Amino acid sequence: MAAGAFLGGAASRLLPASIPLRFFGAAVAYHLLAWFALLAGSEWLPRFEAGLGWPLAALHLVTLGVLVMTVIGASLQLLPVATRQPVPPARWLAAIWWLYTPGVAALALGMGTGRPLWMAAGALAVLLALLGYAALLAGNLRGARGMPGVVMHGWAAWVCLLVALATALALALFWLGVLPLDRSVAVALHVAFAAYGFMGLFGLGLSYILVPMFALSDAPDERLTIASCALAVAALALAALAAFGVATSVLRVAAIVLACLAVALHLQLMRKALRGGMRRQLGRSFTLVRVGWVMLGLSLAAALGVALGAPLPGLATLFGLTLIVGWLLTFLLGILQRIAPFLASMHLSRGSNRPPTPSSLSAERPLAIHFFCHLAALAGLALAVVAGSPRLAALAAGVGAVGAAAFGAFFVVLLHRMRASAPAEQNVSTRAA
Amino acid sequence: MNTSTRGWGRADKTWHDAAGIHIDVRGLAAPAPLVAIVSLIESIGDATPVIVHHDRDPVLLYPELAERGWVAEPLAGEAGEVRLKLQRVR
Repeated sequence: MAAGAFLGGAASRLLPASIPLRFFGAAVAYHLLAWFALLAGSEWLPRFEAGLGWPLAALHLVTLGVLVMTVIGASLQLLPVATRQPVPPARWLAAIWWLYTPGVAALALGMGTGRPLWMAAGALAVLLALLGYAALLAGNLRGARGMPGVVMHGWAAWVCLLVALATALALALFWLGVLPLDRSVAVALHVAFAAYGFMGLFGLGLSYILVPMFALSDAPDERLTIASCALAVAALALAALAAFGVATSVLRVAAIVLACLAVALHLQLMRKALRGGMRRQLGRSFTLVRVGWVMLGLSLAAALGVALGAPLPGLATLFGLTLIVGWLLTFLLGILQRIAPFLASMHLSRGSNRPPTPSSLSAERPLAIHFFCHLAALAGLALAVVAGSPRLAALAAGVGAVGAAAFGAFFVVLLHRMRASAPAEQNVSTRAA
Repeated sequence: MNTSTRGWGRADKTWHDAAGIHIDVRGLAAPAPLVAIVSLIESIGDATPVIVHHDRDPVLLYPELAERGWVAEPLAGEAGEVRLKLQRVR
């Protein structure tokens, strides 16, 4: 008999496989759609800073459709394992998925086609779904035992999520003719608290579980993880004050300096975990993770250039590119291609004495295609912005779409192999949840 | 009984008896139990079983066991304990 099938606590520590996988599946689909949206908006991409259109739709397909979608699916399975809490009820998570997934589609379509009402309807669904997620997340963090550094990152990300949602609401209302907050203030807060705050802090916090888990190394020193988080939170607080017009330039530079210190500390801990781990060969997935870390540093350098008003055309766009595609998307796709087969194997171990290995569930060739296409697309987009070339932007978006399709093929192969390996009773429960 | 320190001030304990090599990872934060158990089974060159004493179902461990050709079988343990017997199958 398989251990997981026998143990009483197993059921409370694992969600039905269909729950994280449906979030990952939607993220994979939105990943491809994001590149198509970017292709549609390539004419405006090189100098894009704000405003309705396909570049804005592509941005939100990446942030909400890929990044947040994956974070929801991964965090609600992994955090309970780390914090020794029961997983949340599967039906709540299914309800969140059903509200959130079409909400993201409506929001992106509204942004792309310039229809504020579609956008507002989508924004409302996304807002409600993310409030539901925030409630589940708070419940988990409140009862957390151990891992204070991860929990602190979780709470900081949770607060940032609320700020990001409030400012998103203000921005959606702006397109309906209501102005609850100055638009430039709302944009500045939204960018900082959604990207660096919610997604960034979550990424840094979950890294303290995931990187040692994959590298098979000791957990990072809790005191240093807490110090890194405190520096990041202080940076966000200064960025918020600057957004409201308080000593804007000085506080923005101070915020970037504190963020650099937080990142330096984080990367030092990650380097130590990777060097001290029993598993040294982590493959292409961790090359993407490392590229993501480099891009995080570059995003802060670009942010400094923007804060100081450096006279470089397209600098604001480059900042967004390094932050969203360079850091967050590259990092997340690197992690997702490891975590999806790992979670699949973990679930299959519940009903089988000889579960398939994560590597046997994965598909190397599609991942190799994705790896090269993603990095080529990232470089191509950066060149397009520097050269102000819509044609180059379109070419890069096309290459990115090929990479996203390859990533989709990897996910389909994973599902197929998972289904082929699953015991009959587990196939039924996977479909039913 | 041997004690090895992993992570920040916490330790796993190992000892031998007729049933195999025991490892007690109760109270350790993730991923220390995973690392300690994998480290132990990688150090074993023969078919000696490993008895794990845990305070929760080690869901993260099963994929790592599968990669290494080991399987887990549940055993009766003390109240609040999850006890597993790990065996090499290839």
